[in-house]
Amino acid sequence: MDFDVTPFTLQDMAASLKSWLLILSILGAFSLLLGMLLCVARNGAAGIGIFFKGLLGFLNDVGSVSPRRIRALTSLTLKEAIRRKALLVFAVFALLLMFAGWFLTNSNERAELQVGIHIAFILQTISWIMMPVVFFLSCWSLPEDIRIRSLHTVVTKPARRIEIVLGRIIGMGIVTLTILAVMGGIGYLWIVRQLPTEAKKQLTCRVPVFGHLQFINPEGQPSLKGINVGDVWDFRSHIAGNSRSRGVFVFDGIDDSTLVTGTETGEGGSGTLQIAGLRMECRFEAFRTVKGSESSVRKGVTAQYTLSNNPREEAFGLFSQSETLRPLADALRDAQFRTAANRMEELATKVAADGEAAKNKQNLELMPADYMGLQLGSVYAAGVMRDRKDVALESAATAFQKVAERGGDLVNIMASNAEDKHEKIPGLHEALSQSMKQLASLLDQEADTLHEHLPKLEVVLPSFHVSEYHEGAAENVKFVPRTVRFSADAETQCRLLARLFEMINETGQLVEGAGLKSDLAAQLESEGKISVANANLVVEVLTEQLASGALKVDGSKLVVADGQRWFHFFDSLIQKDLLISAESEGWMIERDLIKDLTHDGYLRVEVACLNDQMYLGMARPDLFLRKPDRDFLVGYGKALVSTSLMMLLIIVLGVTVSCIVKGPVALFFTFTFFIVGQFFHEFMRELLYNPAQQGMGAIASAVMTAQHRNPQVGMDVSEATQRVVQGIDAVPRAMLWGFSEIVPDFSVFNSAAGFVENGFDVPFFETVVPAFLIFLGFLIPCVLIASALLKFRELESK
Amino acid sequence: MSSVSPSYRCSVEPVETFFFVVFALQIWAKDSLVSSVFCAKRLDMSNDAVIEIRNLSKIYRDFWGRKKVQAVKSLSMDVKRGEVFGLLGPNGSGKTTTMKMLLGLLFPTSGEMTILGKAASDVSKNERIGYLPEESYLYRFLNADETLDFYGRLFKMTAAERNRRADELIEMVGLGKARRRQLKEYSKGMARRIGLAQALINDPDLVLLDEPTSGLDPIGTREMKDLILRLKAEGKTVVMCSHQLADVQDVCDRIAVLFQGELKVLGRVEDLLEVRNEMQMRTSNLSDAAMSDIREVLKKHNISDATFSRPRADLEELFLRTVRESGERPGRRFTTEEIAGKPGR
Ligand SMILES: Nc1ncnc2c1ncn2[C@@H]1O[C@H](COP(=O)(O)OP(=O)(O)OP(=O)(O)O)[C@@H](O)[C@H]1O
Ligand SMILES: [Mg+2]
Repeated sequence: MDFDVTPFTLQDMAASLKSWLLILSILGAFSLLLGMLLCVARNGAAGIGIFFKGLLGFLNDVGSVSPRRIRALTSLTLKEAIRRKALLVFAVFALLLMFAGWFLTNSNERAELQVGIHIAFILQTISWIMMPVVFFLSCWSLPEDIRIRSLHTVVTKPARRIEIVLGRIIGMGIVTLTILAVMGGIGYLWIVRQLPTEAKKQLTCRVPVFGHLQFINPEGQPSLKGINVGDVWDFRSHIAGNSRSRGVFVFDGIDDSTLVTGTETGEGGSGTLQIAGLRMECRFEAFRTVKGSESSVRKGVTAQYTLSNNPREEAFGLFSQSETLRPLADALRDAQFRTAANRMEELATKVAADGEAAKNKQNLELMPADYMGLQLGSVYAAGVMRDRKDVALESAATAFQKVAERGGDLVNIMASNAEDKHEKIPGLHEALSQSMKQLASLLDQEADTLHEHLPKLEVVLPSFHVSEYHEGAAENVKFVPRTVRFSADAETQCRLLARLFEMINETGQLVEGAGLKSDLAAQLESEGKISVANANLVVEVLTEQLASGALKVDGSKLVVADGQRWFHFFDSLIQKDLLISAESEGWMIERDLIKDLTHDGYLRVEVACLNDQMYLGMARPDLFLRKPDRDFLVGYGKALVSTSLMMLLIIVLGVTVSCIVKGPVALFFTFTFFIVGQFFHEFMRELLYNPAQQGMGAIASAVMTAQHRNPQVGMDVSEATQRVVQGIDAVPRAMLWGFSEIVPDFSVFNSAAGFVENGFDVPFFETVVPAFLIFLGFLIPCVLIASALLKFRELESK
Repeated sequence: MSSVSPSYRCSVEPVETFFFVVFALQIWAKDSLVSSVFCAKRLDMSNDAVIEIRNLSKIYRDFWGRKKVQAVKSLSMDVKRGEVFGLLGPNGSGKTTTMKMLLGLLFPTSGEMTILGKAASDVSKNERIGYLPEESYLYRFLNADETLDFYGRLFKMTAAERNRRADELIEMVGLGKARRRQLKEYSKGMARRIGLAQALINDPDLVLLDEPTSGLDPIGTREMKDLILRLKAEGKTVVMCSHQLADVQDVCDRIAVLFQGELKVLGRVEDLLEVRNEMQMRTSNLSDAAMSDIREVLKKHNISDATFSRPRADLEELFLRTVRESGERPGRRFTTEEIAGKPGR
């Protein structure tokens, strides 16, 4: 089961509402027409008048519904259910619970499995016990009332038929909800008491945040899929161990609310600290090409997470899709914008040459894929840069945008079959080349600005052993404190120092007379959270630079002699290896997970596998962030609500059907409806919408069979015959469509239980809300249909 | 990366709006149009007929629409405000069928009727009607109190009113001791009594009683007759069918006799049965000579106002004769013209 639900949005709701209204109006028009035809068939021309009178009478009934009478009819239904011993189900339930403990409790099982089994048992038992109750209650009650004629006395009172229907539904609904609530409560207590103590800790609802999964292939290039290790079932893609191969999970909407409170062992094991942080849970699968020793199997494969904020990868990664553009992509990603400018210039020349070649009908040097890569890459580059809402990036974004547009023009016309294609293409090459040249010169000019404004921050977390096959195992849950301390790479180090110096300089606290301030090292240490040794190193190197004239004191400020910004000054120091830390861990710095590592709520987590000859398999739902857990009762309650909605829907359907047929028939119909909705809904949709399943209609098939032909070839008949055959075959298809739209998808109601059984919270908007909407979507038309059926049938004659 | 992928927004189309407007229109129409068509009295109510039936026919059909039996044939009659009307006829003559059609439980095959000025299919007419079915069609899992309370709630009655009325009725039908017992434990007569009570829960203007005395003990029968007379005194209209001819004769103002779904006799009971406090002598037909001899004898006894006429029957006799004649000469029917021409014959 997949716990990664697609969000249910307002747009989805609008779309469902639209198809609901469509179905309803078709149904309504159809039944009105049928009613009219019946009236006319029975009474001749006068039938039309009778029909409209009946219709108005019906509307009048609907309009004069009285809560008082509905209440009376509801309490009648309640009494009936109670006096007819519907509550006996409790006895059955109690009996089952008494003996279930013998079979379910097995202390050898892992805790999380035990929890799942117990929850599943209770939820399943409740719904299976309730099922016969609601089926019989709803299908038998009205027909029985009609049979023994007790309904006759009711309808000779001013009770409207719609009130009778509503009274039934509400009354049975109350009975069902009460039974469910009581059983749910008992079930909850039973689960809590029955579970062994160590398993009780697992009794929570995890609230996952799922991301999107991409990969980096062993050559270090982005790709949509990882390696297939030969599984037929292509659910998980693998990354190779000890290579550049990575799984990249990008999470959206990360903010303070995503964080949980976790514990961390304090310095030197001095007790535990309660701190905020990010909790990640994985359930990767390992694939081994060598088995290794038994202990290594038990230990599992080693994996490592890298949290990163990497706009350059996002913006320029896609250029690498084309082989020709790869050097360009690499330069851009490495922030080598001057090199990138040269590459772009070269490409522009090639594009211009291709334009000439196209004019002379010669072969082009660049492939169509290169042009597409150029266009798509530029689209992304422009998009990501715009998204950062940074004015310094604006001009570059515009330049990329232009390349994207020109490239788009060219790619479109290349792919088209336009008459004047060949006249137009050279001009478009020229235009693209022009815009690329402009971009190249811009990249060259703004190289430093771009480097400064597209920062890459990578935090490599400690490696860990993946525990395979064990959902929710402690090893797979990782806690990352909000303030992460890590060893910085050159770029990060450079950014840290530049920012620190800009900040201190701003307040004029860098200089003291003609030299650096005496307590600068201490200030760097406290403000930059860097070690004493590193702070001293910086002060030392800067003093040298000041002496050598690379830095100078200007009033109260310290400035770089050639007017460069601090970022580039430190960059050059680092390039010259002047700032290499003497400490074994290098430059340990602190960063904030939310402020520094996420951008616009996006967090990028790269997963690497460290073992040689091992592969780590992962799919989108295999790594998720865990928000603060909810109480088990929350998810359990939502699962019960879903189940109740299903029972209520069965009641509505049962009551509707029983308005026109007798008990057993109603039972049969409702049950069929349920079975089809539960198990065949997917199948019907498959038949209707999956082109692979969309064979020919029955008649077309018969014709083809007779002619010994296959669907590829088609029938050997005249155009007109073909039309007729297809027309006739369209009828069952339309009926199947109608049926699939009318029969509710009962599996929606069961999904909630799956979440809870597996220790997840039930996503409210994706399961409970759709379930409720389905219920409502049936309730309204069913009540109308049921009351119309009851009104226009002769109660007396049977 | 998904931050840059374009997001498509689905626009809400005017289709939805259209349906909402249609729905709103229907609700509006209900208030104006429907009420003007439906709630207005459709047949002319200048005469004080509570029930008007014109050419009413009912054919029972089976599932396939095949004719099983014609239970009512072209029936026309009126019931006037304030009268006690008796519907007579042998078993299976269509009395119950007619009543059920009046109540909307059965749909007529053809013909028209109004009841309290409304169509039979109009539920709102039930506010002022009480119906005692042929058998007790009640919820057997309720007790007497609950039954009356339940039916009371279906009318516009306050809780206090309901309770008072229920107490009165239970007292009246003599079920005081059994009011907390479930109806499934009731005897036939007790079930009839609670059935009567529920029929009167709303203090109806028109009471339809299908064989009210069946299953009742002699005292119950007596009380039932008193009740009907009391209802009449209160100005209520009562329609009843019964096989207890003596009872009918005692309480009914007018009667109709149905035979195989046809109306055979309709009229005032006094007209149909004349007063009997005179001497009657029955012989076979007398010759003129014998007649003058008898006159002589009477003269000798100072009786001068003797008249000779055909004998009159009591209701039982009328009933038996109608049934016998109808059996012998089928086809003769009491027609609409006769009702119109000789009102209250
Ligand atoms: N539900 C039904 N389906 C078919 N035929 C019916 C139905 N109800 C009544 N009939 C038939 O209609 C005819 C009239 O029946 P109805 O019950 O109206 O008679 P009735 O005058 O009330 O007789 P009784 O004095 O026995 O109560 C009978 O022939 C009966 O068999
Ligand atoms: Mg009868």
